[in-house]
Amino acid sequence: MKALENLFDRIVQRANINLRELAYDVNPYIRNLIPLNQMVKFYAFYGITPHHPLDLEFRHSNLAGSYFLGKCRVNNSILYKSDIRGDELKKAGGMFKYQDFEIPLSQDEGFEIEDSFLIKTLVHNYSHDPETIEKFFITNTVSAHYANIHGSPTDGSFLGPFATVDLTTMNDCVIGAFSYIQASEIGHLKIDPGTVWVRSPGHFNFLYRYPHEQLRHYIHFTTGQRPQGVLIDFVENRKEAFQRIFERVNLEHPVAVPKTASLDRFAVAIPDIRISDNVLVSQRAFLQNAWLGKGANAQENCFIINSRLEGLNVTAHGAKIVQADLGKKVFVGFNSFLRGGPNCPLTIGQESIVMPHTIIDTKEPMAIPDGHLVWGLITGREDLATNCISLSDFAKINGPFARGRMFFEGQGESFVEAFRNRIDHILEANGAFYDGTRYKGHAQKNQNISFNTIQPYPEGDLEGLYPTIVIQP
Amino acid sequence: MKAYTVKDLMVPLSEYATVPVGSTLFEAVLALEKAQEEFDHTKYRHRGVLIMDQDNRVIGKLSHMDALRALEPTEDQTNGIKDLIHFGFSNKFVSDLRKQERLKAAPLSDLCQKTSALKVEDFMRATAEAELIDHEASLDIAIHQLVLGNHLSLLVTQNETAIGILRIADVFAAVFHTMKECETN
Repeated sequence: MKALENLFDRIVQRANINLRELAYDVNPYIRNLIPLNQMVKFYAFYGITPHHPLDLEFRHSNLAGSYFLGKCRVNNSILYKSDIRGDELKKAGGMFKYQDFEIPLSQDEGFEIEDSFLIKTLVHNYSHDPETIEKFFITNTVSAHYANIHGSPTDGSFLGPFATVDLTTMNDCVIGAFSYIQASEIGHLKIDPGTVWVRSPGHFNFLYRYPHEQLRHYIHFTTGQRPQGVLIDFVENRKEAFQRIFERVNLEHPVAVPKTASLDRFAVAIPDIRISDNVLVSQRAFLQNAWLGKGANAQENCFIINSRLEGLNVTAHGAKIVQADLGKKVFVGFNSFLRGGPNCPLTIGQESIVMPHTIIDTKEPMAIPDGHLVWGLITGREDLATNCISLSDFAKINGPFARGRMFFEGQGESFVEAFRNRIDHILEANGAFYDGTRYKGHAQKNQNISFNTIQPYPEGDLEGLYPTIVIQP
Repeated sequence: MKAYTVKDLMVPLSEYATVPVGSTLFEAVLALEKAQEEFDHTKYRHRGVLIMDQDNRVIGKLSHMDALRALEPTEDQTNGIKDLIHFGFSNKFVSDLRKQERLKAAPLSDLCQKTSALKVEDFMRATAEAELIDHEASLDIAIHQLVLGNHLSLLVTQNETAIGILRIADVFAAVFHTMKECETN
């Protein structure tokens, strides 16, 4: 296992070199987070479909339990149970629009992952950086459990557990646990845990920061320890269900799935489950007693339990919905944690937007009205006074606005419109609007995927490393 | 022309306002008033209180500015407005929010309660290496150290023990006196 140990040291050193200005040492955080012998136990796998390029290249890397789809190069990296999902990468012949530029693509875009260690991380979407339109790079970077790198080329950075970087080019940054950053471009920043920052320069700027003591109850990450708190316990308590589906080669879900919908073979579905037309359930999603109306989706690492989604619902990567009823077209952002209970149901009215990384953990019945925006930490109805506003009122903001721990500057209308446009884009990409001939998306294209597995050296100096593998049509 | 040294100009520690660590802001202000009453051989007033540890060593200083700052809303009370600039918010936005928060906090409305609750160690400035000067140092060195560090006073030491305070007012008076000597000669 010597080569794997050396590879780990190399990645740590490269990340630290980039983070020296922030005086941040990733080593004590990740040194024993995943024992190296764990990295030998799991196979990696990749998807084959006629809809996506098959262009994979793995060199001097460990890929334990990770999934690949599309075009991807991995070099000198450790990817542990991560999803590298390339079904939204740009394609050759397309046009990338950025401000007044229209940039033609001469080749398929691909992931380039080098000198990085990703733990249970989701990598998805496409590079939004106009300077690297055909290359979605992740280099010299370390990410902890359930981080999301979404449309965000990243270099020399560290992402804590449940951190998300979305549509942002990032260089030499530390993103604290459960922080969500969507800010176009950032560099040399150390972001505290529980920061939710959405900025479109010249248009709007939204910032919410969790109270640290209360956030610790949900997620806490310190040196020499695994991530702790409600969020990690919630996920870990259900991991056995995933182990069962990963151990078996052939698996039929005990659930009826319409021809227009997709329930991934690597998702967990525990009856009673209702899958309607145009529904997308991605790998590593967890459904238990869940009702999904037409065009709803559950993306990677989502949990939907004892809940009903009326339709056209976006449940973004890592969101968790427990004992809740969501009206039509409710958007639940990345890694949000919505938990009602048998005696304290949570309902969210149609077309409401739950901001990424929102926690609603109520011990009393709670109803969010139609068309509202909610954010931050909500543990009871009284918190709605500071963490909820109607979208129509929000759209009227033009200038500075502060409510509770949330600050906003700019045009509210622009903010609301940007979210609505994005929700429509996600629904379209997921195939929620498919009418039998038009608007085919992931729900229809991902129905028939073949999965091949690959494995590392089982022993010797190269134990844990995968041989160099090039996979092409 | 007299060659001043630091010990010629310093105020001995015994004449300066001091309070032990654990004192309240109100006790610090009382100590400052008392020291001023007993120290009347100059028109310049004391502008700070020294904080002493259990072994009677100087561990920090509390200036007028520190005392006023202690009455301001804390970062906890303002939800971290101070940092908003780092997230791309405009100066005007941050400035307006600060004003609003200050009005809400109304620091003078419960002054009595606050001054008896605030502990000096929570808002004193710890003594830094650059604020120490040996009692035998020359006036030139003292001026250089005051100007370079933008200090209003320096802590005078002898064998690493604090023995007095060198105030910028006393240094300026010595310089002014020397200038006048030049003119006379």
